[in-house]
Amino acid sequence: MRRNKSLNRFFGRFNSIRTEIFGATAGLLVLAALALAAVSIYSMDTTAFETSEEFSGKIIRQVNQSIDSYISYMDNITSMIANSTDAQAVLFGSSADNGFRVRLGEQFQTILKSRSDIRNIGIIREDGNYLINVAVKRVNPYLDLDTQSWYTEALERNGGFVLTSSHVQALLRGERPWVITLSRGMRNYTGGGGIDGVAFIDLNYSVISELCEQNSIGKRGYVFVIDEEGEIVYHPQQQQLFSELRTENIEAIMSADEDAIVVGEGDTQKLYTIARSSLTGWTVVGSTDVSVLLQNSRRSQRFFLVITIVLVVLALLVSGILAGSITRPLQRLQESMARVQEGDFAAAELPAVSGTEIGSLTESFTVMTNRIQELMEQNQREQEEKRKSELRALQSQINPHFLYNTLDSIIWMAEGKKHEEVVLMTSSLARLLRQSITNEDELVTVESELSYAWSYLTIQQMRYKDKLSFSVEADPEVLPMRIIRLILQPLIENAIYHGIKYKESPGQILVRAYKEEDQLILLIRDDGVGMDEEVLKHIFDRHKVNYQSNGVGVYNVQQRIRLYYGQEYGIRYESRPGEGTTARITLPADREEVLQ
Amino acid sequence: MKKKVFTLLMILLVLASAGLLVFFLGPAMKTKESWHLIYIPKSKEGTNDFWTSLISGARMAAEEYGVTLDVMAPDKEQNVEQQEQLFREAVELRPDAILISPSVSTPSPYLEEARQRGIHIVYVDAVAEDPAPELIVSTDNLEVGRKLGEYTASVCDPEGKIAIVSQMRNSSTAEEREQGFREGLGALAENVMEVVYCDSTFEKATRLTKKLMEKYPDLTVIAGLNEDSSVGAARAIRDEGAEDRIMVVGVDSSLEAMELMEQGIFRCIVVQESFKMGYLGVVETIRLLQGKPQGLFVDSGCELVTKENMFDPRIEKLIFPFEEGA
Repeated sequence: MRRNKSLNRFFGRFNSIRTEIFGATAGLLVLAALALAAVSIYSMDTTAFETSEEFSGKIIRQVNQSIDSYISYMDNITSMIANSTDAQAVLFGSSADNGFRVRLGEQFQTILKSRSDIRNIGIIREDGNYLINVAVKRVNPYLDLDTQSWYTEALERNGGFVLTSSHVQALLRGERPWVITLSRGMRNYTGGGGIDGVAFIDLNYSVISELCEQNSIGKRGYVFVIDEEGEIVYHPQQQQLFSELRTENIEAIMSADEDAIVVGEGDTQKLYTIARSSLTGWTVVGSTDVSVLLQNSRRSQRFFLVITIVLVVLALLVSGILAGSITRPLQRLQESMARVQEGDFAAAELPAVSGTEIGSLTESFTVMTNRIQELMEQNQREQEEKRKSELRALQSQINPHFLYNTLDSIIWMAEGKKHEEVVLMTSSLARLLRQSITNEDELVTVESELSYAWSYLTIQQMRYKDKLSFSVEADPEVLPMRIIRLILQPLIENAIYHGIKYKESPGQILVRAYKEEDQLILLIRDDGVGMDEEVLKHIFDRHKVNYQSNGVGVYNVQQRIRLYYGQEYGIRYESRPGEGTTARITLPADREEVLQ
Repeated sequence: MKKKVFTLLMILLVLASAGLLVFFLGPAMKTKESWHLIYIPKSKEGTNDFWTSLISGARMAAEEYGVTLDVMAPDKEQNVEQQEQLFREAVELRPDAILISPSVSTPSPYLEEARQRGIHIVYVDAVAEDPAPELIVSTDNLEVGRKLGEYTASVCDPEGKIAIVSQMRNSSTAEEREQGFREGLGALAENVMEVVYCDSTFEKATRLTKKLMEKYPDLTVIAGLNEDSSVGAARAIRDEGAEDRIMVVGVDSSLEAMELMEQGIFRCIVVQESFKMGYLGVVETIRLLQGKPQGLFVDSGCELVTKENMFDPRIEKLIFPFEEGA
């Protein structure tokens, strides 16, 4: 039990209620805050994603359309050239007339001047006839046209245009530009209408790059174009891609079914928005950094998170305070109860807590404790009274037998005309009576008690004539000490009746009072017959009341001493048959009531 | 108990405020500093395709990463004193880092001063003697030479005589390539008759090659170790019409080199990824400045190009620089 208590004290007695209240409220509040934050944070990302997908989707489709119409327009030009009589004449004509060449060259120059996005424009036939840009431009003699897809595919495709990816145009000497070539087979109208030559335009990237770059899709977003094989047609960082300094996830784009996909992880995560063209076979891709995309929503999320943290902290604080305010009075009440249990009634005085159930509980407890305290005090008083009355009862009056015997002795003495003896005995009896009647104080001085003993001994000496002699001695310092009344006389009486009376020769009684350390010792010594062990054993027995004594037995004296002073004090007898008896009364010498 | 709860709450509050700080200041602390870099190449743009491409790579990286890059270039590669002077001027400007392609291995007397001023020195393409280089971004020149040598050994007659046209004496690049070339040749290394130095000019390379042809009439291989020396040598062969008996192998591509290959004069060219080198030079310098370098040596790579693979899209991408509006 005690161990449990100390354990409880160690772990905090109100731990459970307090933590329960704290846990419940804090848990609820924190959960609510977190749920709110989670929902809003999640929805923010989704919204940001959807908005961006929709927005870039529109732009990408628009770019796709613009590129389609750009390519169609260019195809119109090649188509016009392919079917022009001048081109027919230059490529297939056998006439030596240079006029066609000059005219076609001028046309090419006009086109080239008006359109900076056209790098080369020309017609070519494998046997060597060609006209590119200007009349005199020389082709690369080491280039085999059969290795060039823009040439071979244009021949094969009956009437349609051919569009290459980005490639290096090696056709002209001293030039190796990166271009996109749009080519178209030329029918030889003079020679049967079969396809036997190619008209082509080399496009540089100015228009496509403009189309891609002006349709920006946000900070760090860009647009690029890939062909059917997944080769890069245009990319704002084409050289970096070529040098493998950066990559795009072409594979994911090629296999994507949706219009928007997310690739990569972490900081490099990208949102690709895709639009495919049926005309060119190209795919326009818009790339957006997811981190940029989510920047705004991240900022809001951060804000939300901060708010949530603040809310959580507040929730914990409030729950803590709430739990504390509920359990603190309870705790105080409990502590005070524990102390009351140990007898400290002052602990019951608790500060009033108004209103609440705990307040009324505290109040009831205070009232209850006060009542208990009152009752206990009352009980104590009653006990005291009882003890006092008991004492009073014990220190009863002088034995009437003794009185009769004494009076008889006086009468005999008076009849024998022994006036002096009569006077002495009567005065002794009177003093004895007065002292026993004055019953007001429980305590008397040692002097008074000795004087009482002296009076009694005087009377007895006169009754027993020469058979008894006595002396009363005391240290002067003990005389003013106060002790309970009537403790000497019964013992003296006992000494006379059990010691001296049966002795053949005259007996002597010595009464002595002195201090020994912090004890007051009263000795009654007789040289009578003494007591054997059997008598000694029964000396304190209650029933041992001698009719000849004054009725206050040794038992009573012992009881009174112990009642008043405590068990450690009292009478001790020493006796040896034939040698006498010593009764030794031990009383406290240092108590307040003794010294008074 | 009460105190315990209170301290717990205080700890939570402190943690929460720390969290707030990180959340609000964290992104602000990450913002990129605007570094100032200076690049000193061996030669200015336009002199040959290698430097043009390298410098354009460096510029593109600087633009992409939002740093300031000034290019301070000597007019010609043999202007060693001019490069020295430019380095001194660059140190005076106190940039965050100087990227340099030293023309000679002799270290600059201003190197120590630059370091004392807290300027980081990054070697691009070539290195100078430096007791404690911080970062080198370059082609593995030993590997360049080795590839050249191995290909030569595979096509050359075991008795064939070999001559080397190198660009510069005392140039780390040239020395390493020559060493690699000899390693790649293996047993054929004994057939190397002579090494001549053209000071990185086409004309001198051509002149020296013609002299070599006179000196060794039965010469079978001429190896050029950079663009100027290999193109210069190839021109000499073309002029003499000796492509059938002397094969030219070289380093660094250019339009002319590719045309010479189409014509069958060059048998192989080991191409350095110059754009990549310039680009990585700047990127790695930024990483160094940010305190997270990727290592002392960054290899930008090289490729062996022959007539057979020269039209591969992958090789085309390496050889011909991409220009948007051309």
